[in-house]
Amino acid sequence: MIPAAVEHVRPETLDEALDALTDPEAKALAGGQSLLPVMKLRIVRPSVLVDIGRLGLGGVQLGDNELRLGALATWDTLESAPELKRPSLAALAGCAAEIGDLQVRNRGTLGGSLAHADPASDMPAVVLALGAEVVVRDARAERKLSAEKFFLGPFTTALAPGELITEVVFPLVEGSGSAYAKVEHPASGFALAGAAAHVTPDGKRSVAVTGVGAHPFLLPADADPLDALTEAEIYGDRFAPTEYRRHLAGVVVRRALDRARENMEKAA
Amino acid sequence: MTESVIGVARARVDAPDKVTGATRFAADGHVHGLLHARLVLSPEAHALIQRVERNAALAMPGVVAVLTADDLPLTGAGSDRTTEPLARTEVVFAGQPVALVVAENEAAAEDAVEAVVVQYEPLPAVVDVEDAMLPGRALARVVEEEAGGGDMESIHAGVDNGQEDGDEEQLSDNVLDTVHRSSGDATALLETSDVVVSGTFRTPWVYQAYIEPQVATAWLEPNETLVVSTSTQGSFVTQRELARAFGLPLERIRVVAEPLGGAFGGKLALMEPLAAGAALALRRPVRVVLTRAEDFQATNPASAQVTHLKLGARKDGTLTALTARMIVDRGSNAGWGVEGITTLLVAGPYRWKAHDIRGYGVQTNRFTFGAYRGPGAPTAAFALETLLDELAAELEVDPLELRLQNAVVEADVGVSGNPFPRMGAVEVLERIREHPLWKTRASLPADEGVGVAAGYWPGGTEPAAAVCRVNQDGTMTVVTSAVDMSGVNTGFAAIAAETFGLSPDQIRVVAADTATGPYSGASAGSKVTYTVGAAVLKAAEAAREKLLKAASEELEIAPADLEVVDGAVRAVGSPDHSITVAEISAKALRFGGRYEPIEGHGGSAQTRGAPSVAAHLAHVRVDQETGEVTLLAHVIAQDVGRALNPALVEGQMRGGVAQGIGWALFEELVHDESGQLLTSSFLDYAIPLADRVPDIDTLIVEVPAPDGPFGAKGIGEAPVIAAAPAIANAVAAAVGIRLRELPMTAPRVWAALEDAQA
Ligand SMILES: Cc1cc2nc3c(=O)[nH]c(=O)nc-3n(C[C@H](O)[C@H](O)[C@H](O)COP(=O)(O)OP(=O)(O)OC[C@H]3O[C@@H](n4cnc5c(N)ncnc54)[C@H](O)[C@@H]3O)c2cc1C
Repeated sequence: MIPAAVEHVRPETLDEALDALTDPEAKALAGGQSLLPVMKLRIVRPSVLVDIGRLGLGGVQLGDNELRLGALATWDTLESAPELKRPSLAALAGCAAEIGDLQVRNRGTLGGSLAHADPASDMPAVVLALGAEVVVRDARAERKLSAEKFFLGPFTTALAPGELITEVVFPLVEGSGSAYAKVEHPASGFALAGAAAHVTPDGKRSVAVTGVGAHPFLLPADADPLDALTEAEIYGDRFAPTEYRRHLAGVVVRRALDRARENMEKAA
Repeated sequence: MTESVIGVARARVDAPDKVTGATRFAADGHVHGLLHARLVLSPEAHALIQRVERNAALAMPGVVAVLTADDLPLTGAGSDRTTEPLARTEVVFAGQPVALVVAENEAAAEDAVEAVVVQYEPLPAVVDVEDAMLPGRALARVVEEEAGGGDMESIHAGVDNGQEDGDEEQLSDNVLDTVHRSSGDATALLETSDVVVSGTFRTPWVYQAYIEPQVATAWLEPNETLVVSTSTQGSFVTQRELARAFGLPLERIRVVAEPLGGAFGGKLALMEPLAAGAALALRRPVRVVLTRAEDFQATNPASAQVTHLKLGARKDGTLTALTARMIVDRGSNAGWGVEGITTLLVAGPYRWKAHDIRGYGVQTNRFTFGAYRGPGAPTAAFALETLLDELAAELEVDPLELRLQNAVVEADVGVSGNPFPRMGAVEVLERIREHPLWKTRASLPADEGVGVAAGYWPGGTEPAAAVCRVNQDGTMTVVTSAVDMSGVNTGFAAIAAETFGLSPDQIRVVAADTATGPYSGASAGSKVTYTVGAAVLKAAEAAREKLLKAASEELEIAPADLEVVDGAVRAVGSPDHSITVAEISAKALRFGGRYEPIEGHGGSAQTRGAPSVAAHLAHVRVDQETGEVTLLAHVIAQDVGRALNPALVEGQMRGGVAQGIGWALFEELVHDESGQLLTSSFLDYAIPLADRVPDIDTLIVEVPAPDGPFGAKGIGEAPVIAAAPAIANAVAAAVGIRLRELPMTAPRVWAALEDAQA
């Protein structure tokens, strides 16, 4: 459990960091809660770690129409930020509170979780259901990716080499409600099945699931979510064989929708 | 008279150091010139080793050696983990140590492990324990080894194998041991019983999950003494095992047992041969520390077991007969297995008119079996206590009353053929019968239920000795060689304080090593307080005699008219006539002193075990949608003989229940069909975390052990035994399903609920 030898740099500015990340063997280090474990197992061996902790990317900014969360916002920040204590954003704090333990929540970050793209991680479902955009930059340019286009497969995203997530932007919908529901893996605590739901006063709903397939995904808006799950490709293992996991996905989708509606009623 | 300290709750003597981080564990000791070893583990479950390619590793910076079995100065006899710490020619489980990379620092060793290439010739992996028993099946070990002896089994429970018989069942050579216990015609009696229930029960390999991974450090003193500083449950047994492995005289080996960071049966002579072998080969100090992943793969968890069990009863609730066939997966352990213990405990603390019980110890290509709190007991209790509940349902009687009606009392003959000593089976069951949880169980919300179960542990014995020394300042040092596991030193302090007449704060308990200490067996088998504690009591008495003799001269009063109160000796009935223990001791411990040092030696050789029995109530809620079982409350009543320190006794009861929750709901080491371990981290191996352990109501029942110090008996193992079946019976009470396999994970419960509806 000792990682291979690695260099460590801690840039003070975003440009310096992006510059350091042009090295194809470099890896950004945020909270280290996913990266260091895989380095200790020597599954990943970067030549240099670019610590992005000093770039001031941890902010929570609530505007009139959107919420901007810095990539370095920790789970603890999301759980406790007063800006997020509103029914439409309840899924964010609710989900963050269910991640790991206190130590992990003090270190683990939103950007790190999205970039790592563990298919059983929780927050991606919320980012999808709330229709967020992921703001990414490399040494040359900045671009925005819809969450739906971001997750491509297990531990695989649309991030190009050298790109950093800087922010995640959530549109705000008046009077809506959201929630996250999860059945946790008995050992790891990650999602055996997790679902985030967002419902709006005009009757629209958006539901995303995680932990059940190669990557988290949105359920089609026009079909019954439970029907959609019977069609979906669901992953099976010893902790949740396919049939059981499909069933669990249905359970958490229903629970998330019920709670999102309750939250919406609170908003009214 | 001083107030008694027996029965009074006190903090553990080791608590302040542990809480403040002052304790030095085995991996913390600074050793000059220390080398660090890392293991090369076999990726194959069963294979012949063809070649170990080490040059690339040796060329790496900081690497001192790459050692294989041939490089260690072993005698070569034996194929157990002590005598063959690195696989010689054949690997018999995935995760078996094959080579040792030794380097100047841990990182260099770890780097070099990847550069060692071992070529294997794969052999069929034997992973299905029942199939492995059939004649003609592939063997889990093909290379014949010379036998190496060893005495690991006796450390835990030392039970015999029942009677020999000429009964010729056709079995493969994977069956290393058979046990047969029978009395009366059980089969005939079952046929005429009014009700008969039966089932096949499966339990998995379970990991001890101690906090501190296995670690040992070894070096040679200039005079060639091999010193081994280690995290172990027993110093003398480790010394013996090392002498056996390396063919060294005992006096050349000194084993120092460091403070233990948890063990639960799993820390006995597994790492020491590696560290010692490397130190002997290289003549430099070597430390082996396992990572958690290595600890999962390369150590010695509890056996998986398959139990076929059948029970009968008469209409009036009298139990008639039981037949059992119990198959114990020993993995690679050719030395011993739990088939002896589990065939004894499957009868539970109940009376049977006839029994026919067979046990089989079978080798497979999985791990090396090792002891884990109550080895062979939780597996047996799961089968028995589940079926007793089913029997009660068939008979339409209260399951607790059924158990009470048949509970053993003193002199009832058990399936061992020996009469039970006095044991509180009836008392603990009566105690939980009065508990509000049991009385109100009929009025619980939907999907909730309460289950009951009971189980006992026979209790081990082993001769032991202790020394009590009074220091110049009037305090006392108690010296034993027992490893302080589960707070035994705190119990010794109370025993010595009470016997001698000091307060426990004036007593320090130290663990000596094999070069310096009085004899003690391993801390295992629920025997330490019962045996070493009895020796401490005698040593304190002996010291007290010396004290009174000296005081008698000082005070000119006969010893019989003296008492020791609050650190002073005084005349009975005339308390002003006194002299302090410190004053007497100061007169003894000085140049030209007048009295023998106030020091006593005591020994014990218990000849009968003191069994401890516990009854449980579990209260669960089952989420019918997800299959998740939540334990809402748990009650345990245990006969502890005498609670020397109720806080510690309750701690043992809670810890046992917590581990029982692991058996019931979470813990399972899993291999795939080719023998690859799928659970080698806490990401895959679930244990009951704090938020899954509810309030546990601990009810202490005291039925004194005739030979125990102040009536105390061993209590460590009993509380884990019947926790899982109580939870299983609660699940049945809640939602009507009965699982035949542990752990009762959410997908299994859900599938059973689906089946029940179909
Ligand atoms: C004990 C434990 C329990 C956990 N339980 C859960 C759980 O229940 N649910 C759950 O969802 N997660 C869980 N996690 C994972 C945790 O949430 C991690 O924090 C998260 O997955 C990664 O965030 P991080 O900041 O630690 O990223 P790091 O580990 O620092 O980095 C992860 C990866 O993302 C890259 N990266 C980091 N930041 C950026 C960025 N801004 N732009 C581009 N790439 C970036 C890194 O280069 C690396 O490849 C757990 C972790 C632990 C250790």
